[in-house]
Amino acid sequence: MTALNWLLLAILLPTLAVPAVLLAGARERISLGWLTAAPMGASCFLLVGISSTLEPPHAQVVSQPWIPSLGINLTFLMDGLSMFFGWVICGVGLLVCWYAALYLKGSSRENRRFYAGLLFFVTSMLGTVFSDNLLVLFVFWELTGVASFLLIGFWHEDPEAQRGARQSLVVTASTGLCLLVGIILLGQGSGTYSLSELLAGRARPNGGILALMAIGIFGKSAQFPFHFWLPGAMAAPTPVSAYLHSATMVKLGVFLTARIFPIFGDTVLWLELLGGVGFLTMVVGAFLAFRSNDLKALLAHATISQLGFLIGLYAMSASVGMQAEFYHTLSHVFYKAALFMVVGIVQHSTGLRDLRQLGGLGRLMPLTALAGFLGAAAWAGLPLTTGFISKESALTDLLELVKLHPLLGATFLAATLLAATLNTAVAARFFTGIFLGRRPANLTFHRPARSLEIPPALLAAGTLVFGTFPGLLNRPLDWLSGLGTHDKSAGPLALWHGWNGELLLSALVLAVGALLYLTSEHAGWKRAHIPDWLRFDEHFDRGLDGLTHYARRLTHALQADWPPAYLPLLITFLLASAGGIFLSVLDDVSWEGFSWRTHWNVWRGAMAGFTVAAMFGVIFLRRWSAQLIALSVAGFFLTLFFAMYHAPDLAMTQILVESASVVMILLLLARFPSSSQLGLRFEFGWESRHFLRLLLSVGVGLFMGSLVLFADLHRNSEPAGREMLRLSKVAAHGDNGVNTILVDFRGFDTLGEITVLFIAALGGLGLMMRYKRGPRRSNEALPPGFLLGGEEEAP
Amino acid sequence: MKSVNSFMLRALIGLVFLLVNIISIYMLLRGHNLPGGGFIGGLMTGMSFILLGLVRGWSELQRELPLPPLRMAAFGVLLAILSGLAPLLWGQAFLTQFNFHWTGLPLLGELHVGTPLLFDCGVFFLVGGITVKLVIVLARSTSGLPAFTPGETPYYASTLEGGIEETANEEGDAHAN
Repeated sequence: MTALNWLLLAILLPTLAVPAVLLAGARERISLGWLTAAPMGASCFLLVGISSTLEPPHAQVVSQPWIPSLGINLTFLMDGLSMFFGWVICGVGLLVCWYAALYLKGSSRENRRFYAGLLFFVTSMLGTVFSDNLLVLFVFWELTGVASFLLIGFWHEDPEAQRGARQSLVVTASTGLCLLVGIILLGQGSGTYSLSELLAGRARPNGGILALMAIGIFGKSAQFPFHFWLPGAMAAPTPVSAYLHSATMVKLGVFLTARIFPIFGDTVLWLELLGGVGFLTMVVGAFLAFRSNDLKALLAHATISQLGFLIGLYAMSASVGMQAEFYHTLSHVFYKAALFMVVGIVQHSTGLRDLRQLGGLGRLMPLTALAGFLGAAAWAGLPLTTGFISKESALTDLLELVKLHPLLGATFLAATLLAATLNTAVAARFFTGIFLGRRPANLTFHRPARSLEIPPALLAAGTLVFGTFPGLLNRPLDWLSGLGTHDKSAGPLALWHGWNGELLLSALVLAVGALLYLTSEHAGWKRAHIPDWLRFDEHFDRGLDGLTHYARRLTHALQADWPPAYLPLLITFLLASAGGIFLSVLDDVSWEGFSWRTHWNVWRGAMAGFTVAAMFGVIFLRRWSAQLIALSVAGFFLTLFFAMYHAPDLAMTQILVESASVVMILLLLARFPSSSQLGLRFEFGWESRHFLRLLLSVGVGLFMGSLVLFADLHRNSEPAGREMLRLSKVAAHGDNGVNTILVDFRGFDTLGEITVLFIAALGGLGLMMRYKRGPRRSNEALPPGFLLGGEEEAP
Repeated sequence: MKSVNSFMLRALIGLVFLLVNIISIYMLLRGHNLPGGGFIGGLMTGMSFILLGLVRGWSELQRELPLPPLRMAAFGVLLAILSGLAPLLWGQAFLTQFNFHWTGLPLLGELHVGTPLLFDCGVFFLVGGITVKLVIVLARSTSGLPAFTPGETPYYASTLEGGIEETANEEGDAHAN
């Protein structure tokens, strides 16, 4: 097998395993977590195998045509960046499966949807990071959003989960559309959608495209002002939070920033836009984390802050070069996923997530406490953890930037220091609040399974090992950054850089952070609630409500629920525009071949007479049911025309559609009160509005009639049908031309049509089956991920 | 909505249902060479279920359906897509058709079948399923729906008017008198 096939297998294997998981889940008493881990492990193994075949410094591109007419090929780019993310996705995925297998309560029948979503997510993530074609990348990018929606909404009866899932989907999908526009502009401008070609120097970047793509990045990576969906997404089960919303999916923005950095690095806006938003988000996130009480909300805000930091670092990289960029990401993956799992264990064993109600758990579960300590230490950036080295090298970059851009650099540096200080205090609170202090009397506790504690411990151990011996990572990271586009040399990682400014600043941050923690602890975290004006999620919901409200008002203003009010307008427009054009070209029309006599036939005449008679019935009958039946009588007479012209397929279809639609319309109309009960009466009369309606009806009739006549007049001398009929025997092996066209020649169209039919039917059913849902239920939901903070709510 | 109260219909509906379905499947199978096909067959089957519902009552029909109609429709779409995807396994283009010709089969004698038949079956299931589902939902909704807003109540939550047949019967009686 070629490299392409191996890689495709690695990407698709998780999704291919979905049916197996769903089927296996139908049986009780089967551990789906382990079953799910198998394809992920296989993917991981395949990726490692593939990367061993790669040779620095060249990235490998493998390609297979997919939709050649649109220039879309199934092309994959294997370089250091994609490999790094591929390993992270599969590696953390394995640990998350392990964790979820023990974490999720409930039967496998209930949980199989969860694992299926997880596997689908892995495929879409791998597809995103390995795609070479930007459009394919975008498709996978959006699929991750869909997977995230499904997983956040896993407990779909919980209003919080509904709200969180909806918000995340709306935000990431709508910002994704901006990304799509950016991609199309970039691709059209440069003449290629292939990343490898763009990176090789064919790109024509500009600030506008960058801004559009940046919006997509900010939405996915929960950057200000789109940050609010991430805390809402915390309504998901904890394994999902640990995996999607801290370790992988939200890192996609960082990934794309890294991807397009060589293209846009020299663009004017790069540093200002990405750096500005990144560092602003860093401060906002840290501030919000500082003011949260709910453990998951706190971690979510800290994640937002950290993502801002990562994107900010890439923003600077154009000026000062990239130092250990993979290391930052890896460090965050390790400690944040570990902390989320710790929170999950705490919630699992106590049922609580509010810091104010927790405490003293350290002695009860020492291993988790240790993992929590290491994670929090890396978060705060204590020495001997990955966080410390990450912070040191970031400070080095920032100090470099100050030399190049004094104002911007100083602002970014100040923002970093401020955010780091806040994060230190929050990390200290996180650890002490859960594990130290006195255990509240009313706290119920049951021991978590021992093996549930292992995955976070493993991740936390990673922060310690790679923080103490960063040299271990030197070779793999060098290999990764040497492969493909990321050829900026990263200096060897080391724990000790000597006495320098970075160390001083680090110490300062830790000291001030500790001081902040102590004062806040002393004050009892009284101010720990999020001020209303920073509740972007609520503003967003209000905006959405306002939109529907406005739409309803507009609909009422336009009276669109009352056809007689707007139909005359539409018809007048149709007649005026189309009829006008028709009349203006009337002189050029050749009347050759048109004669009243040539088509005359007594049977046809009789049919036409019956049809017209039925139409008179439609007009003059008084009850709508009778009118409707008269209308269908006209339809049945039309069927006879088809039969006379040797089109039995059409005739049969027409008869069936006619009868089905009569039944359906009768049923539909039965839902409405009769017009007399609504106080409406339709009378024949010669008032002006009746006259107008009559005029319009006659006009439409004449227009359609003449359209038919003219269409028939200009018949092509060589109709396509004859060729189709000839081919249908030869190529499609069938005698019925209509059918061969439907299922063979135009099979693709039919496929599209039946899919659309199915979707339309689902939409119609959604409108008709109005069970349970009232008008404004969704707004009564609690805000996402938060226990309503503040003194007044404290228990 | 009430069902039609006629002894003749009740007695004959089973037979009619069977006959219509035999014809519809015949239409489906012969579609490639003679008038017919998945759409026509599916619609006929759908109509047979509508008849059944009209005579026996909709809630009873829904209870007695062997398969959820929406699943049948989804299965149809899936079948059509799969019949298109299958050629990819042999390196052919999407929706390439294969034909099989057998002679000397027991009972059937000579048989010529192509993969388009699978595609047509997909259309059959989709059209049949959707027709049945939509009509059942429409029919059951005539007994009144919760409205989204109070303003919609007179339009959707109609409990004022009875079923079509009811009013039709009343009117018929009025004329008879």
